[in-house]
Amino acid sequence: MIDRESTFADKEIVNFLQSRVIPVAIDQWFQRRQKDSEGDFYRRIASQGPRHDFESGTTQGLYMASADGTFLGYTNNRSPERVKEMLRQAMLKFRPVATEQLTVEREDPRYTLTAPTGGLIVRVQAKVMGGYEETDDVMKQIFQTALSRDNLWVSQSEHSAIAAGRFPKSLALRIARFHLVDNTRGEPPMWRESEVVKTNFEIDGTVVRGHAELSTASGDRSYSVDLLGELRTEDGKVVEWNMVASGSFFGDGRYTRGAPQGKFPLAISFTLADGNDIADDIPPQGSRGWLRGYLP
Amino acid sequence: MSRTLICAAALFAFFHLAAVPAADLAEEEFRQLHAELQPAKDALWRTVPWKTSVLDAQQVAAVEKKPLFIWAMDGHPLGCT
Repeated sequence: MIDRESTFADKEIVNFLQSRVIPVAIDQWFQRRQKDSEGDFYRRIASQGPRHDFESGTTQGLYMASADGTFLGYTNNRSPERVKEMLRQAMLKFRPVATEQLTVEREDPRYTLTAPTGGLIVRVQAKVMGGYEETDDVMKQIFQTALSRDNLWVSQSEHSAIAAGRFPKSLALRIARFHLVDNTRGEPPMWRESEVVKTNFEIDGTVVRGHAELSTASGDRSYSVDLLGELRTEDGKVVEWNMVASGSFFGDGRYTRGAPQGKFPLAISFTLADGNDIADDIPPQGSRGWLRGYLP
Repeated sequence: MSRTLICAAALFAFFHLAAVPAADLAEEEFRQLHAELQPAKDALWRTVPWKTSVLDAQQVAAVEKKPLFIWAMDGHPLGCT
C-alpha cells in the first residue's frame, strides 16, 4: 500500500520503470521457498543482497539485477529519493551484455497456483470508512485511506450453483474466512472456521443478500457485516457480479496494527474480474501455503 | 413504455426484493459503496507493465538487454500489501 502511494506514485520512478528496466512484482514468500527454476533464479539474486535467510526470514524489498542474475542494488526504504539513489547506483554497475534466456526446467506444484478451470475470479477490495484519528503523518494518511486488493476464487461447481440461483455453503464460508478481513494496513489474520459464528447468504433472482458474524474466542477481533449485491447470468454462466459487504469491525492483527480505536466501519466490494486488470492473476492471499485449505 | 408496463415493472421489483430476507444495507448504499471501492484507473503504479514471474522478466530482460527491477513483498504487492 505504502509503495503504491509513495515510491510508485513518483513520476520519475514510474518513467524509469516503464522505459529502462523490466519490472516484476512478486510475493517473495513463494519464490524464496519454491524448489524450481523460478525460485532458483530469485534466490540467486536475493542471496547476493542483505536479506538471504530463505528459511525463516523475509527477503522483501526492491532489487535491481542483471538478466544473468548479477545483483545490482537493493533497498527496503520507501522514500522516492532513497529508491532513486539505489536505481542510479545500480545503473552505474549495469553492463548490457548478451545473456541467455532461462527456461522453465521444472515447476514446484506447491507454489504454482492457478485459478480453477470453469470457476470465477472476483476482485475483492476493502476500505476503512471512518474512525481514524486525524493525523499529519503522510504515511499514516496513506494507510488510513488505503483501498486493498485480493482475489476470491470460485470453483466450477460453485459457479454452476450460483448460476442456478443457489449460494453454496462452501463459498459463503470461504468469503467469510478469507475475504471479510481488514487487509488495508498489511497482511491480515484470516478467520478460523470456529470464528465464523454465522453466515447466511441467499440468492433471489438477480439479488444477493447476506449477513455474517465473525469473532475470535477472546473477542479481540470481530466483524458484524451485511452484504448486498446483484448477479447477472447468461447461458448458465455468471457474467456480472457486483456485491458490497458493509459492517462494524473491531481489532487488528500482528501485521495490521494501527486500526481505529473501538469498532469502526469497514466496507468490502466484490466485482467479477474480466482478466484485464494487472492483479487478476494473483492467487488469493488465503490460498498461500495451503490451496486445499482455501479451495477444497 | 406505457404506464401499465412501468407499474408492472415496479410491482415486480418490489416483490422481487421483498422475497429476500432483509439486510441493513440499502440498494442505494450498495451502489454508492461499490463505486467508491474501485481503484483509480489512472493511478501511476498501474501504468507500469509489471510482470509477475522473475523468469518471465529475465527472458525479456535478456533480449532487450535491460536490468530487472524486482518489487518483492510479503503478500503480493499488486494485491494484498
